[in-house]
Amino acid sequence: MTTVDDSPRPRPGPREAGPPAVEVTDLRRRYGDFEAVRGISFEVHPGEVFALLGVNGAGKTSALEVLEGLSPPDGGTVRILGADPGREHAAVRPHLGVLLQTSGLPGDLTVEETVATWARTLTRPRPVAEALAQVGMAGRADVRVRSLSGGERRRLDLALALLGRPRVLVLDEPTTGLDPESRRTVWSLVREMVRGGTAVVLTTHHLEEAEELADRIAILRAGRIELEGTPEEINATQPAGIRFSLPPAAPPLPPLPGVRVVAPAPRVELHTRDLQAALTALLGWAAAEGVQLAGLQARSASLEQAFLAVADGAAPATDRSVLESRSA
Amino acid sequence: MPVPPTATPPTTSPAGPSRIRRTLALAGAETRLYLRNRTAVVNSALLPLLLVAAVPLLGFGDGAVPVGPRLLVSAIGVMLVFLTYTNLLTTFVARREDLVLQRMRTGELTGAEVILGTATPTLLITVGQVLLVGAGVAVLGEWAMPVDVVLPLVALIGGGALMLLLAAASTAFTRTPESAQITALPLLLISTSLSGLFFPLSVLPDPLATAARFLPLTPAVELSQLGLAGLTWSGDAVGWAGAWTAAALPLAVLAGWLLVAGVLARRGFRWAPRR
Repeated sequence: MTTVDDSPRPRPGPREAGPPAVEVTDLRRRYGDFEAVRGISFEVHPGEVFALLGVNGAGKTSALEVLEGLSPPDGGTVRILGADPGREHAAVRPHLGVLLQTSGLPGDLTVEETVATWARTLTRPRPVAEALAQVGMAGRADVRVRSLSGGERRRLDLALALLGRPRVLVLDEPTTGLDPESRRTVWSLVREMVRGGTAVVLTTHHLEEAEELADRIAILRAGRIELEGTPEEINATQPAGIRFSLPPAAPPLPPLPGVRVVAPAPRVELHTRDLQAALTALLGWAAAEGVQLAGLQARSASLEQAFLAVADGAAPATDRSVLESRSA
Repeated sequence: MPVPPTATPPTTSPAGPSRIRRTLALAGAETRLYLRNRTAVVNSALLPLLLVAAVPLLGFGDGAVPVGPRLLVSAIGVMLVFLTYTNLLTTFVARREDLVLQRMRTGELTGAEVILGTATPTLLITVGQVLLVGAGVAVLGEWAMPVDVVLPLVALIGGGALMLLLAAASTAFTRTPESAQITALPLLLISTSLSGLFFPLSVLPDPLATAARFLPLTPAVELSQLGLAGLTWSGDAVGWAGAWTAAALPLAVLAGWLLVAGVLARRGFRWAPRR
């Protein structure tokens, strides 16, 4: 590992001023009778990270394959820097970096030979040594690809994806199978690219990765985007939760403003959209009555909560009441 | 009418490496990979030497006519099917199942460049083996001046291109590198046995002989036999002008097959394993 960037995520937010680097409009993909992607639309601007989340089979990889120019869409359009990635190969490819979810490399070339070969096919390649140092593989340059560990191979994949200094980067599960330290390296590399104005589209199963990197998140279910927004907006679709146990002799809970009782005494669970006000009222009551709130926990809504609500098949974000009742 | 804003046109970038340079980059890596496989290297050198060594060992070549040209014709025909086609089919399927092909397509290389770069070692070995056989028969004193050099070159290059396209098309029904040994059989058995390599097609009943001349390997064998040995498909000796006259049909058949195989390859080639 070279330098690990621990600075907090710069979140400039979408730069609506310029034209988008990635435009996806009503994208559809079909395998026979099965429609894997059912009309999704989104935009990603330069310097922005867009994360596609969803359980396996939600359509993430099928959607990305069209962005990568590897498969034609069955409906809708995709534009990368204004051009069609499938048909306008020469216009798009010099600016596109792709990390596939799984891909192979010949095992009997060394790491350095692999990167050098790839560099010779690119318009503006980084120097090979720089590319290897970037992913912490400088010391493994002479090792054959066959002998690399899974994590090392993934970092080599990433080095190849970044080799052409792409303006648009598509990363399909970039850190799956990586140890925590390598994961942080990947995050700092992505942030570095974003600071340079690269637009990033990524998928991940690690929700903390999406929270860490993404300016905007879309949660995909059965080929449709069910929820989309900044991490804060997505969290806001979910209520915060308060839990505690009441002793048997305690007086009944008073009505608290903006609070819904999900589970009654003795093991109480409350949901609220205004955690601070609800807690103030609750603690005031407890102090006045002299009640001990055993095991008191208060949690803001999390991305995980929203993700699970969507994955469970709860209704989309537009109908918040359904989400609330589902999480009961 | 106001012009809607578009993303910065990608055309502002400097010109990248040419198609040829990109293909050469991949071809270089593939050739290096091949050279690292000692068994494959030894095999591909041994095969033509054995073929040449068979001449004195089996007592051929004691007649008045040198056997060199006919041996070279056999070498071209056999190499094209057993080496070029079979090897390329196996290589394409292995690279596909290893997810290497899909990866190669994520960069600036086009699909055609990936296929040609991947095929380069096999194409080079094919040419190298034919040259080895040629050198071998020359050493044995079995060499004779060819009637025409263009026709055998067309046979080798056109035949090699056809084998590449047929191999690419055959990946459509070949699931694993191992099953290539089965799926390659139709071309291996039918086309090779009816190509005029092992017996002159004129010994067959007329309709069958005519049909055999339209099989994919036959034109390559006919053309090299016309150029190297001055013999037509029915075994008549011809000179330079006669060779070119007789070449019209095999040239047309070769061109037709290139077209058909090109379409089949474009339709049938798959870059990723079936899910």
